[in-house]
Amino acid sequence: MAKTILIPIDFNPESLNTLKLALKENSISEVDIILMYSEYLTDSITDLLFYSADRIIQSHMTSDFEETISILKNRYETSIKSIKIELFHGYNTTSFKNFIEAKQIDTIYIPKKYTLKLKKKGFNPLPFIKKSGVSVQEIEWDSTFFNS
Amino acid sequence: MKTQYKIALFLIVANTFMLIVFGASVYYFLYNYSYTDFYKRLGTRASITAKYNFDTNNKNAESIRIIREQHLEKLSNEKEHISLINSFNDLKLFAEKASLPLSFIKEIYINGKGNLQIENTFYSGTKYKAGNKVYLVIISAENYYATHHLALLKNIIIVGLFFIIFITISLSFYFSKHIFDPIRNITDKVKKISTDNIHLRLEESEKDNEISQLILTFNNLFNRLETAFETQKNFISNASHEFGTPLTSIIGEADVALMKERTPKEYQETLQSILSQAERLNQISQSLLFLAQTGYRENRLNFEIIRTDEIIWQAKEIIDKLIPKNKIQIDFSLLPENPFKLKVSGNKQLLTLAFVNVLTNACKYSNNKTVLVSIASSNHQVIIEIKDQGIGIPESELQFIYDPFFRASNTHQFEGYGIGLPLTRNIIKIHNGQLLVSSVVNKGTSVQIKIPLTQYDGNGVKF
Repeated sequence: MAKTILIPIDFNPESLNTLKLALKENSISEVDIILMYSEYLTDSITDLLFYSADRIIQSHMTSDFEETISILKNRYETSIKSIKIELFHGYNTTSFKNFIEAKQIDTIYIPKKYTLKLKKKGFNPLPFIKKSGVSVQEIEWDSTFFNS
Repeated sequence: MKTQYKIALFLIVANTFMLIVFGASVYYFLYNYSYTDFYKRLGTRASITAKYNFDTNNKNAESIRIIREQHLEKLSNEKEHISLINSFNDLKLFAEKASLPLSFIKEIYINGKGNLQIENTFYSGTKYKAGNKVYLVIISAENYYATHHLALLKNIIIVGLFFIIFITISLSFYFSKHIFDPIRNITDKVKKISTDNIHLRLEESEKDNEISQLILTFNNLFNRLETAFETQKNFISNASHEFGTPLTSIIGEADVALMKERTPKEYQETLQSILSQAERLNQISQSLLFLAQTGYRENRLNFEIIRTDEIIWQAKEIIDKLIPKNKIQIDFSLLPENPFKLKVSGNKQLLTLAFVNVLTNACKYSNNKTVLVSIASSNHQVIIEIKDQGIGIPESELQFIYDPFFRASNTHQFEGYGIGLPLTRNIIKIHNGQLLVSSVVNKGTSVQIKIPLTQYDGNGVKF
């Protein structure tokens, strides 16, 4: 059966090293991958009125990041069922638990040493992830490929 | 014709045309309106006149007459023609009396009303039935408004038209002349820049408009030209130096050997040394030739579909022969599962040469420390990264690494003559690829080569 895994990202190609190593561990079974970027929701009413997750993701997206995803897709073509980028706007562990439940996440992979390089309004989801109760795997990497 | 006059002419013609259309339509519509309006007024008068003349109710008729005299303005040359019509003969008589064409009178009799214009006089008639009697009432008057006001309007429009056309012509010429001022300035300034003073630049204005972009483009062009000039100058001095060094040593060796009689062994040694220098010369001239050949973008090259990983293995085999102590590690951890994503169209020999060049450099300048080669492929291109832990390239010199014969300042202890990288870049360029070099001194250099994938169409596989 396909597994759903979640990886926190910061739209730097480097943060995808977690995904690369997670896939390496997991390369037999099929996986649905959810790349999660956590960001506080805007306070402005007009912004909320015209809220579009796609647009927010597009505004953060870089060509390097896109290319890195396509490299990984090509590398693990048979085991990757889908890759999606999702935004998480919650403020507390409960909302994160709801998020996990809604997306039916089986495992979360987080980097051990790497700290996410957050942009404006972004926040670090690691405390929520650790308290969420879902199985969390810490991954450590020494040599990085994606650092451009 | 100069663009300036073209623009002026276009503006003049377009504006004049619009003005004439505007003036003519104002005149035409007002003209039409004044006639229909005037006939309406005459028609009203005719029916009022008929009413108070023939109304059976005398009191009513009298009051209408009074109102008409008090309130309706007297038209210029206003006349009333009234006649009782009993038979066709009466129509004829009436026509003669009022000196009007019979057809007009008939028209009124048949249609109940009618309009006619004879020169400046307008006629409007109406048929009125009082009891069993039929009357025809015709009111005639001159259209003062049409004859005087419209003539005045025509004059105003014509004079105004000429006045505005005159202004348009002068404005168009002024505008077309001055809109090209900045461009003329640029032309003048660019003319002044020649090969002697290629360091001169155009003044960049702070405004962000088309002109400042043009200036910026020109300045960028000059920057590139200047670099190219410098490169050429450097190339000649470097090339003569590279060729000069072995030549000097050949000449020196031969000179010394010829000073006096030598033993055969000494001659052998001298000749050996001369041979090795001559070989070096030969190598330099051959690689120069190769560089020049790859510099042309001609389609003489044989392009075939090749797998990049194979090329890398081949390059590694060659390096293994050249530098047996090398520590090249090929990392396939990101190799795509689909082999189509490794296929590029290119020339096998040239690509192998390019990779051998980069790998040799990586091994040479790191004294055979580990060199990591990774291959990955995105949806559009194959990316090959070659990372060494060598001496690196000083940041200030990174921009010169593609100049032939250029060697970084920290490379004195290594042999080489600075043709490898320019050659590699030429090869990658032929394959529409990209060569990116980033480096930190004493930490290492990483070279990224990106080559676009072959696009598959038709045979069921599309990428």
